[in-house]
Amino acid sequence: MAATPLLELRGIDKSFGPVQVLHDVGLSVYPGEVTALVGDNGAGKSTLVKCISGIYPIDGGTVTFEGNEVAIHSPRDASALGIEVVYQDLALCDNLDIVQNMFLGREKTSGIVLDEATMEEMAGETLRSLSVRTVKSLRQLVASLSGGQRQTVAIAKAVLWNSRVVILDEPTAALGVAQTAQVLELVRRLADNGLGVVLISHNMNDVFAVSDRIAALYLGRMAAQVKASDVTHSQIVELITGGRSGNLGLPAEKPSEFIDITPGEAQ
Amino acid sequence: MRAGPTQEEVRRHNLGTLLRYVHVHGATSRAELTNRLGLNRSTIGALTSELISVGLVSEAVPRETGRAGRPSLVVRPESGRVYAYALSIEVDRLRAARVGLGGRILEQYETERPPGMGVDDAVQPLARFIRQMRSSVPDDARCVGSGLAVAGMVRREDGMVRLAPTIGWVEEPVGPALSAALGESGRLSIGNHADVCALAEHARGAAVGCDNVIYLYGDVGVGAGIVAGGHRVTGHGGYSGEVGHMVVNPYGRPCSCGSRGCWETEIGEHALLRLAGRTGRTGRDEVLAVVDAAMRGDSQAQHALRQVGDWLGFGVGNLVNIFNPEVVIFGGTLRDVYLGAAAQIRSRLNAVGLPACREHVRLRTPELGTDAALIGAAELAFEHLLDDPLLS
Ligand SMILES: Nc1ncnc2c1ncn2[C@@H]1O[C@H](COP(=O)(O)OP(=O)(O)O)[C@@H](O)[C@H]1O
Ligand SMILES: [Mg+2]
Ligand SMILES: [Zn+2]
Repeated sequence: MAATPLLELRGIDKSFGPVQVLHDVGLSVYPGEVTALVGDNGAGKSTLVKCISGIYPIDGGTVTFEGNEVAIHSPRDASALGIEVVYQDLALCDNLDIVQNMFLGREKTSGIVLDEATMEEMAGETLRSLSVRTVKSLRQLVASLSGGQRQTVAIAKAVLWNSRVVILDEPTAALGVAQTAQVLELVRRLADNGLGVVLISHNMNDVFAVSDRIAALYLGRMAAQVKASDVTHSQIVELITGGRSGNLGLPAEKPSEFIDITPGEAQ
Repeated sequence: MRAGPTQEEVRRHNLGTLLRYVHVHGATSRAELTNRLGLNRSTIGALTSELISVGLVSEAVPRETGRAGRPSLVVRPESGRVYAYALSIEVDRLRAARVGLGGRILEQYETERPPGMGVDDAVQPLARFIRQMRSSVPDDARCVGSGLAVAGMVRREDGMVRLAPTIGWVEEPVGPALSAALGESGRLSIGNHADVCALAEHARGAAVGCDNVIYLYGDVGVGAGIVAGGHRVTGHGGYSGEVGHMVVNPYGRPCSCGSRGCWETEIGEHALLRLAGRTGRTGRDEVLAVVDAAMRGDSQAQHALRQVGDWLGFGVGNLVNIFNPEVVIFGGTLRDVYLGAAAQIRSRLNAVGLPACREHVRLRTPELGTDAALIGAAELAFEHLLDDPLLS
């Protein structure tokens, strides 16, 4: 597995008015890996994603992409770096077909005008690279698709333009068992194709089924980011609900007091 | 001291290497072949011509290269003209296919196998499928042989099924019976179902590029196909990989093999359905129904899935400690169990797997689905051709 993160956040702070929602948050996303972002409702997952994708400005901290510090001021900046987000409320148009949806809103970003045949070929190529066999015709209206197929199209749309990092917010919510399985396999395949994937999910089976690392947010702080091969389900649940589990997670003391008593670190 | 290989031996070996490369990787440019195989351009040219002359590959100018200069010719396997018949005898299904060189399924058929169906009754529909496919094969196409996958313990040398408890066969000469029914279809190679699935996923599925692989296949029973150090582990007689009969619980339930507390009595379909309160049912749809019920909050289904997940995690932990695989693939209905109980499985594996053995293991579901058995069975038949492409 890769040693250097593709995307790295350090010390991210974010407040809405007087309320600080993110405190000193760090997160590393590695190519070829799925990093699950977990946390209770209100922990700050969606806010963090919106900071990464340029919807919210950050108040403090740094974002590093491929080793270079970057400033992401808008979704367009994020797209230019190859960071794509697939949101819970899928932004697909029912009255357009699959190909049209996959290119929707992109003509402007890329500045290139593509003909229909090229678009269809690119869409088909992308679906093939993801081994998608569940979609019969690319010219089907999105209205006719099942929930799982819609999610598949949304994900394929996110990877169409050589993205490097794909962030998925609860991609299996509201799907039945067979379609959940297909979407999970698709999420895994994105990473196996070399992308850095961030998966937000409340479902611990989904998280453990496809993740290489798990990052647990607790009340706006990153409690721990651990390898999926090193933790148990109950440890993750403790991190989510209490911010710590054994020697994992946030220290019991205030961080400043904790640093004072660490040997060799006294200032 | 033994003399080095003769020029002729080297040439035949290189022919096999080139053919195997395009069989596994599909259409490949001459330039890339030169790189990958470490042979010079003129050698690649000569080998390609020879394979073209015997009808095993074709060569064409690529559609577009996007680069200036003369494009490198692309070599592809003759998938439409060189093929094998692939057959699979499974717990509740009989499948047959014609598979082209390159691992492409050209056509496929299947029918149910009712419980208790004997060997003769199972061989008849398979032979009928093959006769049907034979009648529509193009005149210039060439059959290289047939491969059969059986969900049971098969003697490698003659295809004798020694024991297939989930199918209900003991000491049945399936290989000879099928050969007799097929008539002149070339050589018949036989392998275990999980073994050939592992072969297929290793060559062109979820385990490509991995030298150490455990493919677990589960339905009523559980078996494994194991690749260690890049080689299939088949055992002395062809019977290895019977992980479903590892005894994990000496006080457990009787197993179809005659023993007690075998792994499959804890993680097979019967165990899941019994724990979920659905005794007497079986099959993939029933397993999916339990996972679905668990997702929707049915506490008995959740409990069943957790318990099976626990036992699955313990066993996988043991296998990981023994084999230190790069990847473990969950096939058959274990795919659905894995996705529905991954938190349990991973937690147990992390608790019993030694850190050094488990740190890099990837847990995956199959990429080839139910096609794996057919693609893998065909792979058995192609093996002879790939070993020596000029052998006819
Ligand atoms: N636009 C906003 N204005 C004010 N408060 C917000 C805004 N968005 C989120 N919050 C607050 O920030 C906290 C984190 O929310 P969110 O990031 O949505 O959490 P999660 O996605 O983990 O459930 C919550 O307390 C929420 O009420
Ligand atoms: Mg949210
Ligand atoms: Zn047994």
